[in-house]
Amino acid sequence: MPAELLTARNLTVGYDRIPVLHEVNFSIERGDFLGVMGPNGSGKTTLLKTFLGLLKPLSGSIEHVSTGEHLLFGYVPQRESLDSHFPLTALEVTLMGRFGRIGALRPPSARDRQIAMASLAQTHMEEFAGRPYRALSGGQKQRVLISRALAAEAEILLLDEPTNGMDMNSERAIMELLSELQRDKQATIVFVTHLLSTIERYAHRVAIITSGGELLVGDKAQLMTPDVLAKAYQVR
Amino acid sequence: MIEFWSVPFLRHILIAGVLVAIGLSPLSVYVVLRRIVFSGAAVAEVASAAVALAVLFQIAPFPLALLLTVITFLALSRLADTTRLPPETLVGMIYAGGSAASVLLIVKAPRGEADILNILFGNILTVEPAVLWGMAMVFGLVFILQYVAAKEFLISAYDPDMGRTLGIKVGLWNMIFYGTLGLAVAVAIRAVGALMTFTMLVAPGASALCLTERLTRTFKIALAMGIVASLSGVLLSYQYDLPTGSTIVAILVGFFVISFVIGQIRKPA
Repeated sequence: MPAELLTARNLTVGYDRIPVLHEVNFSIERGDFLGVMGPNGSGKTTLLKTFLGLLKPLSGSIEHVSTGEHLLFGYVPQRESLDSHFPLTALEVTLMGRFGRIGALRPPSARDRQIAMASLAQTHMEEFAGRPYRALSGGQKQRVLISRALAAEAEILLLDEPTNGMDMNSERAIMELLSELQRDKQATIVFVTHLLSTIERYAHRVAIITSGGELLVGDKAQLMTPDVLAKAYQVR
Repeated sequence: MIEFWSVPFLRHILIAGVLVAIGLSPLSVYVVLRRIVFSGAAVAEVASAAVALAVLFQIAPFPLALLLTVITFLALSRLADTTRLPPETLVGMIYAGGSAASVLLIVKAPRGEADILNILFGNILTVEPAVLWGMAMVFGLVFILQYVAAKEFLISAYDPDMGRTLGIKVGLWNMIFYGTLGLAVAVAIRAVGALMTFTMLVAPGASALCLTERLTRTFKIALAMGIVASLSGVLLSYQYDLPTGSTIVAILVGFFVISFVIGQIRKPA
């Protein structure tokens, strides 16, 4: 089984044909815990959405090395992007992760519900299964969204700003949970954040998008240096 | 009730009311959640313009109204995803364009305005058996589709990006949703009129959403409210000699007011 799950070759990404990241080359390996950071508007979410197939690359390619075909992603969007008017329980939100594995026009089975409950248990949220999702705290909602991504039995978890808007304790709890999943379940995790401290503390590898549209990928020790960060954020 | 049922025209009214409730009440949950409440009103104007156009050119009005209604909803679904404008802007422009076009076409039509409005805005009191069969087929299809494609409609409305990453054809399911919505609205307007159609497309879903935190229960409550409002509206209008469509609308609005108050009282501080 190849160590690489996904490889980007000469990848240029952007919106409305305007490139924000140019000619990127890098790989995501099985068991990776990769933090993607960069200044606001540098293209972090654009890169994530291109990986997910929600945006087409402007040029270059993304190869799904492990499958040769379509890689299954567990996507955790920014929780504010979800509509709070929908009357859904934590279990119903988690169950959505199974929808890609159930045939069209078929309802979720008892097994799908079991998997969803097990996913909630992995994020320590099983006791909240019947609670309305919209009534949960920010940290609890984030755990439910991670459960939903786990329920998809995906090969890579992709998280967009998983600790955005959280207090210090909630942020730490979410990042500890991701570390636990990576360590104990060998999950491959890619998360986008603007918080240097989160990357510094938890990520194993770092991808830094510079304000000039470059992507620097490597170990933390190699990249989390004052010189590199000054270049990325254009500060002295 | 038995006496009521034995009179064919009263029986037809009762069946029409229940069929409209079965077709539109479940749809109303997504109409509210997708924030497309005024699409029904805008599409009614498009249907009106289509009827005026058909009368002007002396062709069958209902098929043209049906076609334009479905196309308008489909166009709304496509454009809402791609434009930088908020979706209600498009709805507003369609409403204005449809209204203006129908007035301009009606003044040039060989038949009078009252005649055209009668063709378009059906009246539940005059619904005929042939129309009832058409309603049964269309609303039955819409109802079954809401049930069997529940998970596809849910993820397409709630988290389309997640749906796409899971391999679900979100664009196709949105088109199917808006297509069935257009079909249901066109048939309902023709059978029971614009006001009752619009109210049935909003009130049951809005009321149910005030009362429960479970999606499946929301659909069941919306359906029950739609049917109860139709049945009680027909019976009350017969008993007290009131206009049937307006009585049903008043009951639906009453249900909403009660549900809204209950929802506000129950809401955690």
